[in-house]
Amino acid sequence: MDDDDYWNNSETKAKAFSFDDDVLSTQEILAIGQKPYSGQSNDVPFSSTIVNNTKRNLIPLNTLISPKVLDLIVLAQSGKDPKDKIPENIDTTVATLKRLILGRSCFLNVHRSLKSKTELLDGAVALGDGNAILTVVLFLIQTLNKKVVHELLSSRPLALNHYISYLRSECKITELTDLLTMLGRSPEAAVYQLQHIVKTQGNNVEGLLRKLNNILSNHFNQPGIDAHSTKMLTDYIKFLEWQKYVNKTELNNKSVLECLTHCCQLHWHEGAGNMMSPLTLCQRQQITPLQYDWVVLNVHANSNKWDIVESLFTKKDWLGRTTVSSHIPIETLLSKLNELQASKRMMATCLNKIQNGDDKLRLAYKYKIHSVVIESLLKQKDRTALTNYKMTLSPQSEEYILAENTLREPSIKWKN
Amino acid sequence: MDHPLSLKLASLSLVSQHKLECILSTCGNKIDFIIDPMLIKPLERICGVTWLRQHGVDKIYKMDPQLGATANTKRAYLIPACLHKYKCVLDQIASVLSLNPSLSETKCFHIIIVPKTMSTYDSILESKGLYDIVQLHSFSWELFNLDDQLLSLELPFLYKQVFVEQNQSLLSSIAMSLWSLFHVTGRPKCILSLGKVSSSVLDVLEVYKESYQRDFINVDKSQDFGSLIIMDRDQDYASSLLTPATYTGLLNEIFSINCGQLDLNVKETKIKKGKVNFTTEEKSDKKTVITLDSFTDTLYGEIKHRHFSEVLSVLSSKAKLLKNEDIKALGIQEMKDYVTTKLQQVTLFKHNLVNHVLACETIIAEMNNKFENLTQTECEMLNNRNKKGNYTYVDEHFGTDIHVYNSLRLMCLLSLTQGLSYDEYNSLVSKYLLAFGYKFLYVFNNLISAGLLVQPSSPKLSLNISHLSNLSERLPKWQTAFQNTANKLKQLPQTESENSPGYVFNGSYIPLVAAMCNTLLTSESLLEVLNKLSPLNDLKVGGAIIDKQKIGMETLNEKLSNLSLNNFELSCKDAKTILKTLKSDSKMNGGINIKPRTVLVYIIGGVTYAEIAACDVIQTITNSKIFIASDCVSSGSDVMAANL
Repeated sequence: MDDDDYWNNSETKAKAFSFDDDVLSTQEILAIGQKPYSGQSNDVPFSSTIVNNTKRNLIPLNTLISPKVLDLIVLAQSGKDPKDKIPENIDTTVATLKRLILGRSCFLNVHRSLKSKTELLDGAVALGDGNAILTVVLFLIQTLNKKVVHELLSSRPLALNHYISYLRSECKITELTDLLTMLGRSPEAAVYQLQHIVKTQGNNVEGLLRKLNNILSNHFNQPGIDAHSTKMLTDYIKFLEWQKYVNKTELNNKSVLECLTHCCQLHWHEGAGNMMSPLTLCQRQQITPLQYDWVVLNVHANSNKWDIVESLFTKKDWLGRTTVSSHIPIETLLSKLNELQASKRMMATCLNKIQNGDDKLRLAYKYKIHSVVIESLLKQKDRTALTNYKMTLSPQSEEYILAENTLREPSIKWKN
Repeated sequence: MDHPLSLKLASLSLVSQHKLECILSTCGNKIDFIIDPMLIKPLERICGVTWLRQHGVDKIYKMDPQLGATANTKRAYLIPACLHKYKCVLDQIASVLSLNPSLSETKCFHIIIVPKTMSTYDSILESKGLYDIVQLHSFSWELFNLDDQLLSLELPFLYKQVFVEQNQSLLSSIAMSLWSLFHVTGRPKCILSLGKVSSSVLDVLEVYKESYQRDFINVDKSQDFGSLIIMDRDQDYASSLLTPATYTGLLNEIFSINCGQLDLNVKETKIKKGKVNFTTEEKSDKKTVITLDSFTDTLYGEIKHRHFSEVLSVLSSKAKLLKNEDIKALGIQEMKDYVTTKLQQVTLFKHNLVNHVLACETIIAEMNNKFENLTQTECEMLNNRNKKGNYTYVDEHFGTDIHVYNSLRLMCLLSLTQGLSYDEYNSLVSKYLLAFGYKFLYVFNNLISAGLLVQPSSPKLSLNISHLSNLSERLPKWQTAFQNTANKLKQLPQTESENSPGYVFNGSYIPLVAAMCNTLLTSESLLEVLNKLSPLNDLKVGGAIIDKQKIGMETLNEKLSNLSLNNFELSCKDAKTILKTLKSDSKMNGGINIKPRTVLVYIIGGVTYAEIAACDVIQTITNSKIFIASDCVSSGSDVMAANL
């Protein structure tokens, strides 16, 4: 079967699993097998079986590796000094670097001259082992003054990154900000500040508001900061003010769309002036019409309020016909309506919005909207296709009769 | 007598077991073993409960910050090298000590850290006043043999550390895993490394090799791998970002897989979990696990790399075979034989069959409607066609069915292949933040520093630099830098052909590692390999193959002390330089004949199932063996999750 065929075939979408008559359906396969096999449950902290090793005859350890080599591997893991080798002269840069990489204990204090310190840093950076780099950087910070260290770091990005990463994980946010500001990278500092505040304040709306207002005026209103980031922070603060006003703990730490979902579920009928009204939130946070429509559709369809969905997404035109009007692109809308099990009538209204006859027919086939299929085929005067389609319908159903009546209509000039 | 390579690799777990045994032996008896939940699955592959009991463990607990009193006073914690978790354990120990200060004299606290303790951990211990009270141990387990020809170090946090936080502290652990592996398999003669992180790993490996050089180590013993290709994840992000079309690739899109174990949760898939929730559905707690190992599940072995469209028909034909097996016709003796020998196998086979069918059903339910449009759009992006339409598709996706990871993934792919304008970029950012919370503003900075997203400069700034950026105009209009390289390496198939590894992405892209393997396995000489791979920057060559080219025999110490920052070559040499030498030296006749038959591929930052499948095609075409190793098997959404 061709790669794409399976996904393209409109038949498979409804009856997803049958490829041809020769292939069993999943239900049939499941019937041949039994119930799904339940593996080990996770209730016990640790299962008593070894996953796959017991089932294979592994090579005994002493055949796999000689015992001496095995000892060496264990020694390397522990980072201890080997007993059979006399430690090298440990105050050279090379020896220190090697010890750092091997995880052995070091006396960095022997490196007192700036030259020796610089060599150590350059060596660690050249080798690229992060553990060694960070150890050396922290040693330099301890023993050199700030200005000298920052000079050394600013020309060695890898070392600098390790230091930044260290400051971030240790939550030393003031030092991080100072460092980045000095390096002329204040926009980054602003984002780290934001991340730090979000992480430390958690659900505390008031705390978040206070701190975010603070970084807005101190860090985000500086030249060099991207205007859109500043706007996003301003919007964040606006949103937090809304959350503070409505004062519902279940909405804290929720996103705008999650709050909109809440408002649609519980405050749908409240007017635009009210703080809990979906419209208020929508205007305040500049939710795009597409996102708004999407939330509204999902909320009401999920709670089976199709009357609301219909009144929102359909309108009568001046001829009195019902048409669909939504910001959701029509194919996406159809697929979602189908998933939400909308009525065939709603689906048909939606399909009729599509101008291109071929697209309309393709989608009508896909979602089995019989009335639209029959109408489209009639428009195309395609008797053969309609006859074939009639065969797929269950005899004496409403659609079947419609198809049959259409085919019998004497006034139509069929093209085939 | 030499053992088959696959068995050697499976036996690596014994080395891990021995390493753990050595640590436990220093902890004493009657230990409460407290294990971080994410390490349970990997540990199960190393030892069982009985084994732990035999080695001093009395009770086993899951690590929990709220964990109260335990049965014994001796505690050994097993945690990953994560600063937060480490501090959490230290706090717990401190609170135990505050209740019972006399314990500080007894050396009864041990923390075993996977894969290693960092030097900062020691100073934290000291600053908390716990030095000498708590003993730290590094547990560097070996690569796990998850499946046939698949090895993983199972350190899923490594990508985040190395590529997002730019912290390379765990590189030495990767180097150590290779160093131990080569004691078992021998060292490959030819090493290609792509990316800075990979070349650092090889340098650290060199330090290990030289420092632990002993006369009893026989370097020239077996050579199971002819070649090693080691590559940084960020060298081929497309392979992470694209939607895979293979069975395993799609499994990893829908279900969570941890250490080769798939959690068959059909209700709460990764796709559902990542979307804005409009309903209040109950969560299921039924657990079914599939072990993704073709050694125990031959059916899995047969379907794992297949294009998904073929999988159900294979499953169906297997089901028919089962159905046709007529047991009633057997005589009594035959029946007995059947029960004792075959029945168990058949039952297991049925279980596996049913689970795979359920998994397929779920994949179809989740992907059916989207797959076609999604892969088509991705293909257009890769070839830099229909830019406006692609943006509209992504924008619509952000406005409607937005997904916390997968939507970002599309944005990144579009940004890397065709670029985003300032306004387009911001429109997507706004929609994302409305859906998931403004607090995620930092995520985009992470994506930019990980190289997944290119930040467009604001219109004001770009006016000033526009006349400087004539460089990009030298490229033909229909190509961006991405297409330029991908075309040179023949990664964008223009016609559909059978047996192309591109099928893993529905025929639109060949993963870089597969392209590299193919070049290496089909070229006559090193010169040819390097010529073909010349579009790649940061490519280096190492191993015995270049030893002949080294001028004089510098020792490690000499090299280290002569190092200069800009031109540092410890273990491997820049490919462009070697290429020049090879070209100029006619005597060498195109250089060394390599032609490896077995290749080890190591991807730092997670390998995808699509890449594994693509390499499988290459090994079949070239009649060779390609083994894949990485720090974990990851999917595009894992890469995104690491940036959050």
